[in-house]
Amino acid sequence: MVDPLLETVEASDGLPEPGERRRFLLEDTGFNEVPARYRRFYRKWRGAGDALAPNEVICPVCKVVIRSTRELRPGDRVYCMPCMSRLVVVRGESGMLEARVAY
Amino acid sequence: MVKDVHDLEHDAFLEEVHSFEFWFQAVEGYLSGTVDGHRPETRDEPPLGSARERLITTLCNYCVGETAALEGASGLIAIAPNRTTKVFLATQVVDEGRHLEVLLRRLVELGVADPESEVERRASPSLQLFRRRLLELVAGRDWEAAIFAQNVILESLEYAVFHSHASNADPITREVLEGIIKDERRHIGFGENELGRRLARSPHIRARLGQVRNQLDHLVLDMLETTAREIGVDRHEQERLGRAYRESVERLGFT
Repeated sequence: MVDPLLETVEASDGLPEPGERRRFLLEDTGFNEVPARYRRFYRKWRGAGDALAPNEVICPVCKVVIRSTRELRPGDRVYCMPCMSRLVVVRGESGMLEARVAY
Repeated sequence: MVKDVHDLEHDAFLEEVHSFEFWFQAVEGYLSGTVDGHRPETRDEPPLGSARERLITTLCNYCVGETAALEGASGLIAIAPNRTTKVFLATQVVDEGRHLEVLLRRLVELGVADPESEVERRASPSLQLFRRRLLELVAGRDWEAAIFAQNVILESLEYAVFHSHASNADPITREVLEGIIKDERRHIGFGENELGRRLARSPHIRARLGQVRNQLDHLVLDMLETTAREIGVDRHEQERLGRAYRESVERLGFT
């Protein structure tokens, strides 16, 4: 299930160029644990039935969903503000994108 | 408007998240409008009989843990290595003071006439010993060991237990715990990241921290087992709690 608050920003022809990352407009998800200007970058994991969008990973430290304005790829750096962690996106054994803490 | 928070340089990110302003705006988001850690309109449906007794014992032990963290965090400010960590610890002190206060108020709401005496009477010996050990590390000005004990071991235990307890607590206790959990995210993240950076720069401290872990682990596991019994979680959930507690310790390379 893709977050209904997410919208893909479409290129002029409606699709991103091959190899180009999709861009996302982020809107407030109601996540209230960081200052208002940062709230759209985070959301709560909604449990069974929830799924990550291409621009999302779960913080392994505090389990909050981290959102980016770009489609995420292995090697990307993301920050979890609720627990103040710097993370690197990796491809996990399951084939899904995961985040690892980069101290 | 922030374009993308993930484009920040790491130093700028740390400066922001360790600031008093960041903390103030964060807690304003989830504490505004609450009284004693919960919404005023939430109906009180406290447990009765033996369930009430178990809840009181559990909350008393949470108070001991929060007092340990309050005393520990305030003592650590003096030996924190730089301004941003001092300011962050000042916000943690405020968080811990609030936690202690809302838990004591909850005890009063549950009919405990003298909550501070009740906390002393019901405190787990393991938790009291943990508190003494933590304060010895702080008094010994051992920054790494004290942060490890407080912000990794103690906070990880509390984070795991509060999550589990909130899922089956009465409505007001649940809201109080959920508010505390939101603060704990910052505390566990601070501890893990601060130690992770230090271990990367100074691997020789790993052996000393391993000894601290060995000294404290049995106390933590004893507290976990006692609390799990009091809040009525089954064996499966208790094992999950144990794994959740160990996650951050293991991410730091302590197996």
